Amino acid sequence: MNTENQSPEDQKWHALLMRSTPSFTGDATPPFGFLTSTLARLKAEKRERDLLEKIGFRALFSSLAILVAVGGFSIGIQLQDRLDFDPAVKSLIMADDVPIS
Amino acid sequence: MDAPIDVADCLRRWKQGDESAAEELILHLHPIISRIVRTHLPRRDHEDDVIQEILMKIFSRLHQYKGDAPMSHWVSRLALTTCLDRLRAQKIRPEVRWTDLTPEESTAFDVAWLGSTSPDATEAIHARDLVDKLLSTLSPSDRSLILLVDLEGHSLEEIAQSTGWGISKIKMRLFRVRAQLRKMIQNLEQSK
Repeated sequence: MNTENQSPEDQKWHALLMRSTPSFTGDATPPFGFLTSTLARLKAEKRERDLLEKIGFRALFSSLAILVAVGGFSIGIQLQDRLDFDPAVKSLIMADDVPIS
Repeated sequence: MDAPIDVADCLRRWKQGDESAAEELILHLHPIISRIVRTHLPRRDHEDDVIQEILMKIFSRLHQYKGDAPMSHWVSRLALTTCLDRLRAQKIRPEVRWTDLTPEESTAFDVAWLGSTSPDATEAIHARDLVDKLLSTLSPSDRSLILLVDLEGHSLEEIAQSTGWGISKIKMRLFRVRAQLRKMIQNLEQSK
């Protein structure tokens, strides 16, 4: 590093950083127990994610089923209502051939 | 450093429940993450927890890795972002005075002033504690920036790539951080 144009404070900063360099070096291998605990955490998170996914799908399917059932029920009621006339009205319709729509 | 590793294969095997695939990835990525965490976070921060947190993020986002750049780049960016998030949660010191330094840190300050002799591990740690103290007065991104340049020797282009900042923004910030550090060291000298 070029120190010619640096102020004494800059030089001091760099000298201090240089002295502390060994403490910045990362570990080449994980410390004892790190791998096991990380794998355990990973497995737990994956299990949780899978479970949430499963719950999500179940919830989706059951809401779809409810939607279909409610839809079918209301269509059924509507059709029944349309055909379920009072006998007097029914005879009037038959006599005058009023189209039901 | 970035030994060839078949990420797609590892991911596929991990999804199928092959634990050895995850193990392979962790062993491959650990040195890269460890270096970044040790550089960008203060010495006493819970290093293993942070590394584990970064690894969890990597595994949950592994499907986002496209493979168009070396995996170490993608991992470095994720690790750096996590470190910055951690730093943001910490309080920024208003300033460092001579009375804030431990006797060992004061010695490290004076010895550094005299010139560079090769330090032993303990001296390096005291110097590091002092560096951490000085850096704790900077904003998280300024702190990381100065370390990327002065410690890791990254070029401005490399920093732009890993942080997403523009070159002019980096230059401007660097200028400001250097002035801040200079002032801090001057103040320390004067408050002796």
